[in-house]
Amino acid sequence: MVFHVKQDFDVIVVGAGHAGIEAANICSNFGLKTALISNSIDDIGQMSCNPSIGGVGKTHIAREVDAMGGLICKIGDLSSIHYRVLNLSKGPAVWGIRAQIDRSLYKKNMLNFISKSKITIIEDEVIDIITKNNKAVGVKSTKNKDIYAKSIILTTGTFLNGKIYFGDEVIEAGRINNRSSKKLALFVKNNFNIMRLKTGTPPRIYKQSINYSNLTPQPSENNGIYLSFFTEQNTNKMVDCYITKTNNETHKVIRDNLDKSAMYSGIIKSQGVRYCPSIEDKVVKFGDRNGHNVFLEPEGYDSDLIYPNGISNSLDKKTQLKFLKTIPGLEKTEIAQFGYAVEYDAVDPRSLKQNFESKKIENFFLAGQINGTTGYEEAAGQGMYAGLHASLKIKKIKLKEQTFNRTNSYIGVMTDDLTKLGVTEPYRMFTSRSEHRLKQRTDNAYERIYPQTKKFELLNSDDKKTINEMISVEKKILKKINTIKLSPNQLLKFNIKTKLDGKVRTGFEILKLLDDDVDKFHNIFGIKINKKLLTKIIYDSKYEVFYDREERAKDLILKNQAFKLKGLKFKNIPSLSKEIIEKLEKHEPENLDDASKISGMTPSALMQLLSYKKTRAKNVRK
Amino acid sequence: MYNSDTIYSNFTPIVKSAVIGYRISGPLTLVILSQLTNFDFSKKPNFFFYKKLYDKNNELIDIANIVFFKSPRSFTGEDVAEIYIHGSLVLASHLENAISSILHPGIRTAKKGEFSFRAMLNNKITLKQGQSINNMIMSDNMGVINYSKKILFSGDQESALYNLKDYIVNIYSKIITTIDFSEDESFELKLILLDIRNFFKNVNNSLTQNRTSIEQKNILNIMIIGDVNTGKSTIFNKVIDSDRAIVTNIKGTTRDIISENIIYDNKTFKIFDTAGYRKKQGKVELIGYKKAIKVSEDIDHFFIVFNGLLTQTALKRMISDFSIGANYSLICNKSDIQKNNISLANTIRTNRDMPRPQLLKKLKLVNIHKRYIKKGKNNLNLNKNELIFLENIMKKKEFLLSQKDILIIQEIIRNIIDDFSENFGYINNEDILDNVFSKFCIGK
Repeated sequence: MVFHVKQDFDVIVVGAGHAGIEAANICSNFGLKTALISNSIDDIGQMSCNPSIGGVGKTHIAREVDAMGGLICKIGDLSSIHYRVLNLSKGPAVWGIRAQIDRSLYKKNMLNFISKSKITIIEDEVIDIITKNNKAVGVKSTKNKDIYAKSIILTTGTFLNGKIYFGDEVIEAGRINNRSSKKLALFVKNNFNIMRLKTGTPPRIYKQSINYSNLTPQPSENNGIYLSFFTEQNTNKMVDCYITKTNNETHKVIRDNLDKSAMYSGIIKSQGVRYCPSIEDKVVKFGDRNGHNVFLEPEGYDSDLIYPNGISNSLDKKTQLKFLKTIPGLEKTEIAQFGYAVEYDAVDPRSLKQNFESKKIENFFLAGQINGTTGYEEAAGQGMYAGLHASLKIKKIKLKEQTFNRTNSYIGVMTDDLTKLGVTEPYRMFTSRSEHRLKQRTDNAYERIYPQTKKFELLNSDDKKTINEMISVEKKILKKINTIKLSPNQLLKFNIKTKLDGKVRTGFEILKLLDDDVDKFHNIFGIKINKKLLTKIIYDSKYEVFYDREERAKDLILKNQAFKLKGLKFKNIPSLSKEIIEKLEKHEPENLDDASKISGMTPSALMQLLSYKKTRAKNVRK
Repeated sequence: MYNSDTIYSNFTPIVKSAVIGYRISGPLTLVILSQLTNFDFSKKPNFFFYKKLYDKNNELIDIANIVFFKSPRSFTGEDVAEIYIHGSLVLASHLENAISSILHPGIRTAKKGEFSFRAMLNNKITLKQGQSINNMIMSDNMGVINYSKKILFSGDQESALYNLKDYIVNIYSKIITTIDFSEDESFELKLILLDIRNFFKNVNNSLTQNRTSIEQKNILNIMIIGDVNTGKSTIFNKVIDSDRAIVTNIKGTTRDIISENIIYDNKTFKIFDTAGYRKKQGKVELIGYKKAIKVSEDIDHFFIVFNGLLTQTALKRMISDFSIGANYSLICNKSDIQKNNISLANTIRTNRDMPRPQLLKKLKLVNIHKRYIKKGKNNLNLNKNELIFLENIMKKKEFLLSQKDILIIQEIIRNIIDDFSENFGYINNEDILDNVFSKFCIGK
């Protein structure tokens, strides 16, 4: 499978994790000649941590990647062994669709897909980036020497200065030991601000050593809802997960051995993750609890391993085994791989432009965990995003509006947060990060993304057909049901109770009162509809009032865009700080909205721009 | 307003007085000080120095007390100097000219409120504390002043709003936990709605507790009336002019009616002196008398001053002219001269030589104040703006409690939290997440 490269590429993607794959995939779908370089073919699509895809907030990103023709959802569905929809009853705005994945199947399916695509897989090690006049023009590699391309996308994960801790046992990790990759690390360090982050992973235990008889099984759910919007059905055999719980005895073991924890003995000093606390954290901070859940997740059909989610730790090996054995079902457990804490360097994502291109090196993009994020979905989202912008740049496509922004997508929220605010801990998506969460739903990702991206022709013909059909059927149905108007008394006949206010409701308003019962819908409107679409239009109707407000917010943005700043000499505005003036001169914002998007812009500076422009206009009139 | 210029301004009024104070704040503070004094203050922060001030031409301005505060340990958080010169208008302008003649583009006079603004920017004081300084200076209401002091010295948490903000952020955190981390921790909608109900209950309690005391009138207006030459002005001057009572300098609106605020026993009184009544009046005096009658509409209490003899006719005339009713005290002045003619009960006897404390005691100002101004609780924990703010929050109650979809509830609560931002600065996602992670055991 090794290609000897003589010719140039449009894009070289370094690293074939979740970010790298999506980056290469979208570039290739743009019709660009794309190379995907991985140290080992075996690393392609590796799930390095928990064996699952999706979850609350993460599903949103995955589905947005899906709507761009991405792979994470589709390959995930192909390789899934268990489904759950978190927040099912709370509606598609916060659905956390999650699939347990067979790790090896995922890698197999991924490699299979990429091999069939136009992407060139290169098994090689990149040791340096070749630049010319502060522009990235290629990579140096061990086997293939110099490979040239118009853009480079680096998605190497946590290769920088990694350290692994089992209690006080420290192991240097990552490729930093390898002398040749030191150059690449140095290149990154010289061109980006670096910060140190920390994360942890639980031990892996042998399936056979677990006594399941007294544990609560968690069977896979079948809601007809899958990772990919385009998956109609999944015929994979499903397997159960199990739940067990820590207890006072577990907590005592941990408390007694806290001095052996790398995180608590003070060996690790970097910032921990608040939302992914180690079991030590849980015991110390929430010690009054009688127990913390441990989810026993299978790693695959044929795998011997179980991933005990919820007990990541950095305790010494002896203590790990000791506390595990206090947990019901794990009394005789055997550990295949101990849990550990990892410390690593990541790039401060504020060193990136909005489009994920380096501020210093042109045509050099970064995506994935190297930008201080965590999670496969976050990585995939960034990979797709960086790939999109690299492609747009190569194809010289200028867009009026950002394809992904805070108002239309979680990917927009993530990329905005990263490039403007930076991170203090590995960044993970939550629905609470989005200001427009009622609009940015899992079930309408295609509607939010597709209209402005269909001109790029990124989807395969089947998916395109599915979306177009969905959109046209929805239009027809809405048109039809809006011709139907019912009074409260008429609604009562369908067993729908409302205030008897004599108010006649249109079909769209009636949707608010329905649940996803397709037969009832048929009874009322005489129209057949599939459940997917029914759920969607019900929630469109429910949240309509709030969309209205969001639209108004959009108006404000448009107003700001209409407020032109071009030709304004920022230096002459006496009340602006030097720092702000520098930023403004550098970015040369065309309008107030652009200015507001500049990293570090303060509201008071924007106010000064406004008032200066206004008073100046007044003086001119005089 | 936000930039790094070094700013200066007087912080006492520029009037003839013992001392006039100037404050300088910003990175060039030491430059200005060394220009003025030729002395290096950098090694000696927080010490008072008695130094000669010179202008650019080496001309002596004044000998002044100067103290330098090194950043960040100063009011604004920047380098700050305070200069106390003798209270002459000429010296003040000389000093200002000397500073402005340093001709550095980064030095300018401070805008109104700019020192406090910088203190806020540098997290030396909060927005609320800034407001409190203002409220404290501007208010005559002892309750408001006490509340402002609390905020200033103990911090934002003294505001009733602070707890309410925490309360609503906690509810929001519960909702986020229920949505984003439902596997770890989840709250039933019923419980969340109960929390919301309690939130509004607390808002309402704060409102009722504060409403009466805030709107309560705190200044008592007293007008001194009586025939000419009965010694009204003598009493007036003695009442307002004392070492103990603080007298604020408010100009009389007309030549004929002079009023002054005094604070006595922590209570504020506004005392009006009027032109007297005389049978055969000249035109000017008649106008004065009529003006006094006009102003008397806002008067709570009258001191009717007479010398020895007050006829029923005269009393009736004044009571009817000023529509007094029963709100008056009778003061028999010059009682030392005409001892024998006192005929009315409950008359306060005063004379010219009476020391002020004795006079004030005799006038029973405290009792009069009590009579008109009900003793309000002084434990305010809202100011007027905060009160209006909470009233607006209350308006969302019904709509919020009628919702059944947790996401819609979340949306409305997020709006309420955004509303709180105007009081405590923007509460962003990170702040909320911090709260979530500190309160709930979340994550795998």
